[in-house]
Amino acid sequence: MSTKTRYVILALVILIPSFVNLGVPIYNRDSPELFGMPFFYWFQTLWLFATAGFYMVFAHLKGKQQ
Amino acid sequence: MIGTDVIVAFVTLFILFIVLGFYGKYWRRGDLNHVHEWSLAGRKLGTTLVFFLIGADLYTAYSFVAIPSGVFAKGSLYFFAIPYVMLTFGVALVTMPRLWTLARENGYITASDFVKDRFGSPTLAIMIAITGIVAELPYIALQIVGMQSVLTVMLAGTANSQIVEEISLLIAFIILAAFTYTSGLRGATLTAVFKDILIWVTVIVVIIAVPISIGGFGNAFSQVKPSYVTLSSSLVPAYGTLILGSALALYLYPHAINGVLSSESAQKLRKSTALLPLYGVGLAVLALMGILVFAVPNAMHFLSGFPESSRGILVVPSLILFTMPGWFSGIALLGIFVGGLVPAAIMAMAQANLLTRNIIKEFKPNLKDSSEIRITKISSTVFKFIALGFVFVVPATYAISLQLLGGVLIAQILPAVLFGLYVKSLKKVPLIAGLLVGIGSGIYMVESANSFGTLTVSLFSTPFGPIYIAVISLAINLAIAFGGSYVASKIQARFKQV
Repeated sequence: MSTKTRYVILALVILIPSFVNLGVPIYNRDSPELFGMPFFYWFQTLWLFATAGFYMVFAHLKGKQQ
Repeated sequence: MIGTDVIVAFVTLFILFIVLGFYGKYWRRGDLNHVHEWSLAGRKLGTTLVFFLIGADLYTAYSFVAIPSGVFAKGSLYFFAIPYVMLTFGVALVTMPRLWTLARENGYITASDFVKDRFGSPTLAIMIAITGIVAELPYIALQIVGMQSVLTVMLAGTANSQIVEEISLLIAFIILAAFTYTSGLRGATLTAVFKDILIWVTVIVVIIAVPISIGGFGNAFSQVKPSYVTLSSSLVPAYGTLILGSALALYLYPHAINGVLSSESAQKLRKSTALLPLYGVGLAVLALMGILVFAVPNAMHFLSGFPESSRGILVVPSLILFTMPGWFSGIALLGIFVGGLVPAAIMAMAQANLLTRNIIKEFKPNLKDSSEIRITKISSTVFKFIALGFVFVVPATYAISLQLLGGVLIAQILPAVLFGLYVKSLKKVPLIAGLLVGIGSGIYMVESANSFGTLTVSLFSTPFGPIYIAVISLAINLAIAFGGSYVASKIQARFKQV
């Protein structure tokens, strides 16, 4: 992987979750529900797992870089 | 009145907690007469332990008390805590390994150590230390409020409950002070792991058992107002800025930096930080309890016996007590109780480091190592009892609001601490000016948003809607710090030409 690609990926795995988190209107809705829970609640809770995944990619790439 | 099974489980586990706290002294032995051994556990904590330790910083009474209480009283706005923790670990992932590396190379223990070295300004370093100490106090007070809420629920209906509660808190704090004095961060780390196991068990059991017993989440959501289901569009800017402001502030708190610097390597720090959003799942469950409780009539009836303003902080302990078997409630309630104690210990320790290294040492530069560690240990004890006294004097709801003000204050050290890591052009005088104006404008906006009365809100009405004050004053602060540094460098360049 070239240095440039690596930097692009590093930036993306931080920016994508942040963009979703701060883009409140993206998830500020009640349907579809999951187990009777409004979308607003279950989406943000499940997004935690995705975010940890993105961040793990960051940690992994940074570790290889050094 | 609660059953003996609750009390037996609670007390047994509390004794185990005390044993672990004192055992910390012998765990991964180091010479505790050195500051970095006592307060950073010798910088030897690996991925898992840093995960638990920083998790303990996050999983405080803020999550058990302030957030569920807010969801219970105001609805979905307070769910901002979940995206906030996700964002804060992103910020930490980018910035903290760099701070860790510089700290290891130069022997820094606090953020002020770094600032003093980087900008060559003792004034700025002292200001940052004072901001840290002041902002941390209401955070500790909030931990005590969380412990208080557990005791209030357990003691409800007994005679002299108020006095028993205050004496129990005092005893708990004396024990805490004793083991942090002897074991330092090692004791806090061991008890943090213990506490997290209890909390995780509680959270997992609650999120499965409670929805089943009340007939599904839908049953709770159908009993609440629309403002509990989604955000009204007028609150979207508030939600977004609460996420942003809190995310930028968390890792500026002295206790968070303390946890970061105790890591064994930058890469281990990165890995544990990357996994920390998973902790937010527990936080989300706790926040949901503020809504689930509406479908538990017994708990609602119990809460109605308390004044409206203090019901929120009792939501989590009473929901647990009224839905779980007694012995399990005992375990869960102890988890919440020590969930306030452990962070309080780490916070007081971080305050003590700032006071000794960055304030006292500044005026007495020849302080011996042995005196430094003694002053640090003693002042960490004093800070705990200041916070305890504070809680005994002011009403609990006020402590939560003051914590919001603490967030506004701590955010103002961001330009020096985080941008200072990367931006070469920043200069000390504009940073000092920015910090002062940021703090001044923050306090003014908080006061005026509350009509100079009791603090309840931290949002400021703007033409764009309500916005978290920490974000506004930080923007002003950044403009001064960067603008001032730019102007200063232009002027310097001109002088050189002449």
